[in-house]
Order: sequence, then C-alpha cells, then structure tokens
Amino acid sequence: MNLEKENKFAKQINETFHSAVVKVQRERRIIVELRSDLIPPFLSFAKEYLSFIHMAHYSCVDWLEENKFELVFMLWSYEEDVMLIVKTKIDREKPEFVTIKHLWPQAETYEREIHEMYGVDFKGNDRLGEFILEDWDDLPPMRRDFDTVKYAGEHYFTRPGREDAQDVRETIARHSGEEIPDFAKKYSIRRDEE
Amino acid sequence: MEINWLKVLGILITPVIAFIVGVTYGGLTRIITARIQNRFGPPVTQNFWDIVKLYSKKTNIQHGVMQHLAPVFAITASITTLYFVPVIRESTVFTNLSFQGDLIFLLYIMVFGSLGMALGVGQSGNPNGAIGVSRGLSQMVGYEIPFVLAIVAIMIQFKTTNLNDLIAMQNNFNHWIIFQSPFAFLAAILAFLGMMGYAPFDVVVAPAEIASGPPSEFGGKYLGLMMTSRSIFTFAKLTLFTDIFLGGAGDFVTLVIKTFALYMIPVLTGIVNPRFRTEQSIRFFWAWPTVFGILAVLIVVW
Amino acid sequence: MINDKYANKIVDIIQNFARKSSLWVVAYGTGCGAIEIPPTMTSRYDAERFGIRGSATPRQADVLLITGYLSTKTLKRVIRTYEQMQDPKYVIGFGSCTINGGMYWDSYNTIKALDQYLPVDVFINGCMPRPEAVISGFIKLQELIKEGKANGAQKYKENLEWYRENQRKVIKNWKMPDYNW
Repeated sequence: MNLEKENKFAKQINETFHSAVVKVQRERRIIVELRSDLIPPFLSFAKEYLSFIHMAHYSCVDWLEENKFELVFMLWSYEEDVMLIVKTKIDREKPEFVTIKHLWPQAETYEREIHEMYGVDFKGNDRLGEFILEDWDDLPPMRRDFDTVKYAGEHYFTRPGREDAQDVRETIARHSGEEIPDFAKKYSIRRDEE
Repeated sequence: MEINWLKVLGILITPVIAFIVGVTYGGLTRIITARIQNRFGPPVTQNFWDIVKLYSKKTNIQHGVMQHLAPVFAITASITTLYFVPVIRESTVFTNLSFQGDLIFLLYIMVFGSLGMALGVGQSGNPNGAIGVSRGLSQMVGYEIPFVLAIVAIMIQFKTTNLNDLIAMQNNFNHWIIFQSPFAFLAAILAFLGMMGYAPFDVVVAPAEIASGPPSEFGGKYLGLMMTSRSIFTFAKLTLFTDIFLGGAGDFVTLVIKTFALYMIPVLTGIVNPRFRTEQSIRFFWAWPTVFGILAVLIVVW
Repeated sequence: MINDKYANKIVDIIQNFARKSSLWVVAYGTGCGAIEIPPTMTSRYDAERFGIRGSATPRQADVLLITGYLSTKTLKRVIRTYEQMQDPKYVIGFGSCTINGGMYWDSYNTIKALDQYLPVDVFINGCMPRPEAVISGFIKLQELIKEGKANGAQKYKENLEWYRENQRKVIKNWKMPDYNW
C-alpha cells in the first residue's frame, strides 16, 4: 500500500495546524479532528492550498453520551484523488457554528438540513427556516433523545396487529448473545419485558 | 319556401355518423399504437366508453362563463365545419350546406374552435392551460401558412372556391388533384400533420410537461364535450382533405377507405416520432411545407 | 318517464359499465410504489387492456392511487388532489404502508393508516405489490363499480366531519381551500 501522497498531506496539515489530529486511515482517506473554532480557516486552507476543491458531503453525528454534536465534512481532491474527512465537536446544549457557505455555496442546503434535523444554529446562514418538514414543533427528529416510536404512537393512528414487531437491535443482540450497552437500552423498545 | 326534407335529414344524421366514425378511428389508433409498442391494446370501443363515462361524471368546476362556453365553442366549430363539407359526392342527403366560396369560409371556421378554447382556458386561470394555449396558437400560425398556400394554389388553378365544383372536376382517377397539383398536396398534408396534433407536433397537450395543456382544468362533462368535438373535427378534416385531393367519395365504403388511409399518415408519423418544441415545429412548417406551397402557387401562376 | 324506476336502473347499468371500463388514474406517485406503475402501464403488463389510463390532472381523473408511504407533507397535497377530483372518484391504497404503516410504522413523519384520512375503496397489500397484484386490485375495483358498491366518495361526503378531524390532527397548520364539490 502506497501512502505517499496521503502522508504528504498529513505532514502539510500538521505543519500548519499543530492542534489537528491527523490520521491516515487507508489509501485515499485522511481523517482530521480539529477544534471547532479552527474549522473555517482549516477548510479554506484545504480548499486553497491542498486542492480539496469539492465539498462532497456535510453531516452531523449526535454523541449523546459525551453531550456533543460532531460535524463531519467530506472534501475531495480531484488532483490527487484523496478524500479528506474533517471532524469537529460542538456543544450539544447550545449547538452553534458558523456558516461555510462563502467557501462552498452548496453548504447552505446542508446547513438547512442539519438545522432542521439536529437543531444546530449556523451563524451567517439566513435561510435556516422550514426545509423538509412542515409545521414541525417538537424536538429535531434526528436527535437521539427524540423518541420516534412514542411520537408516532401519540400522533398517528396505529392499527392493531403490530404487537409482535421487534426491535432490530435487540433481536440481533439476542441471537448473537451480545450485551446491549446501558445508554442504548434507554432508547430501545423492550416489548418482551413489558 | 319549400323545405328539402332530405337535406334536413342529412343535417341531423351527419354529426352522428361523424361521431361514430371519429370515435372508431380513435379506438383503432389506440390499438395500432399498442400493437406497435408490442402491447395488446384496449378494445375498439374504448374511446366510446371513455366519452360515455365522462358524460356520466358529476362536474362541478366553476371559473366563469367563458370557461363553461369553451367546450361549446369547440363543438360548435367542429359541427359547423362538418356542415360545410360535402360528405358523399352527388348525394342530396350528404352534400349539406356547401355553397359558392365555402373553401374560404372553411379556412376561417376551422380556427374558431381553437380560439374559443383559448378564451375559456384563459379564464380558468391554470398556468399549464395558458402555456398550452400559447403553444397551440403559435403552432397554428406555423401550419396555417402552408395550408392556406395550398388551398390558394388550388383555387387559382381550378378557378373555383366551391368544394362541390372541385369534387365534380375530379370525376376520374387521373383527374384527382393529388396528381394535378402534387406540390399543393405535399404542403397541405404536412400542414395536416400539425393540424391533427399527433407527435411530433403534440407539444400543445404534452401530458408529462404541462399536464395535458389546455384541457387541464376541464374534467368530466367538459372533457367529454371536447373529446366528442375532437372526434367530429377529425372526421370533418379527413373528409375535407378527401374532397379536395382524393376526389371525394361516391359511397361510404370509399369514404372510409380514403379517410382511413389519410388518417394513418399523421397516426403512423406520430407513433415513431418524438416531440418537437414549439419553435422547432414552426421552423419545420415555415421551411419545406411553405416552400412546397409557394412552388404550387408559382407553377399555377406561370 | 324520467323518474321511472326501470329507466333509472338501465341508466345505472350503462353508467356503471362505462365507469368500470374506463378508469383514469391521476399520475401522482406518492412513495416508492410509483416505480411499479411504469411496468404496469407499458408493454409487459399493459393495463390499457382494461381501460386503465393515466391522466395528467386530478380534474380528469377517476382513480387516486396512493403508491406507498404518505408523509404528512404529502398527505396535505393528496387531500387537495382528492378534493379537486370530480365525482365519482375512487381511492386505491397501494402497499402495506397505507394499511398499517409497513416498514415506516415508527416513523415520526408518515401516517400509518390511510383510511383514517381518505375513504379507500380497495387495498392492495405487499411491499411492493407486483404489477400482477396491481392489476388484480384494479379488477377488484371494477367489480365493485359494476355492482355499484364503490361508494368511497359518498362515504367521504357523509362523514366529512370525522375525516376532517383526523386530517386536522395530523396537519397542524391547516391552510386549505374549501371545495364545494
């Protein structure tokens, strides 16, 4: 496995951003973890100097146990054929970040979706309104503390006959004898215990 | 004044015959299309049942007076056109109201239905309908020019504006105008493709783009009236072309054979062709069909 | 003569036959099931044999085919589409999502039982129902129409309050025009 260009990128990143944790995962994959206030300079550095001109994806992960949201950027370099994955963690209680739509205009749409699904507030993006959901007045639905089964049961008519529906995670765990972690138990439907 | 009861009878039954023939042709078209697409296709009576169903639907759409009148305009134009076209040669019953100068009159009355529809669709306020109307009227400007040129060439060549005179002149096979004035026929038949509204000139009612265009706000009985009008108008146009170019018909069997052969030209062209945009179809009509029309006039004048 | 019992009966038979043999489906695919409609309509299964045809606008259509899951956002549009259709009109619920939610039974954004919000004449179950099943559902609807039993639209009109209440429960911000059909 030839990791020459990946290592070259990692070295360049480390030289400029000393606090960045760079990991070359495999060929064509570099993962960078960074403090959230360094993200805008880092992204413009990656775009202008490291040739990562294409923002392929922009997403969010809910780390409920750490009380953090993780924003994930995926950048692609057409010159070197390398994907750069940039991760940063922000506070979950008061999720705020700055917009990066001045770097990539398409980031605006991703930010609107993240705002709707996770409730992250992007400073500088003035289109954070209603996006896909209409008239949503509950918790943002992709947060892990949003109980979708409870919500669906309360708001939509449930036809009887689905009592044998099983939680996929529990069924797999029961078959393979795995332990379900404590934090996950809170969000699963333990129908067989009720 | 003496009333010619045979003529009254003809006036009463001509629309009925036109409707039956037009609907059957529509059904046959659907079967032919299906067979070409390797399908079985609906029964021949499918169009008839469609129309009966549309008439039996409860209709409650209220946009204004013109919207109610638009299908009436369409069917009035169709039946009026039909009344001035002699259906059967030298027959008292089916010559209908043909008179000196009816060719010029027909040129006008054939446009009337489309204009009435345009008014009604305009009042319904549906943007798809308005787009469809603007496309339809632009396309009409395209095909009217070669059609009028062809008719004018024939009028100059035979020094008459009466359809009955034209039919009487073509009493023999080799006197048919299709052979005497082939350029006029070419121009007229290419304009006819646009008039019938099959592909490639079906941008007016393109269902996937503008939700069937002008009739998009008309359902139930309105649509039933429109389909009836379309069937009658198809028959009227086919009979008109048969009268002008193919020497008319002495009996119903000849009429059916000739009109069906003519009808297959737009249908078969339509099945194998994609769709022209409006400006492409206008460019088409103003190119070769118009050149053929001008050639026909020039040949006659020289 | 006009109100004669037998005359009405004959008219009914003719009307029902015409309605049965000409079903126009409004071309509105709500969920993943819409992908089963192209093979149903084209050469392989050829639904036009039974007089089933697509129509471009709800004004011209007879059948509203709910193909799969309905999110609350789509439900709003579906209700508007349904109310713009002209009587007699029929609804076919297509796929298990319209019956009990299917694989979206715990989704925060899809309704689980279509017949709470719109009157359904025929359900076709399966995930997804194949074109054969779709055609068999249509034939079932044709049988119901022929017997004069497909009266979902009438049910909707008579129980409009109940349906409206259910619809308002799901669609919180109710800004819909009233149709006086």
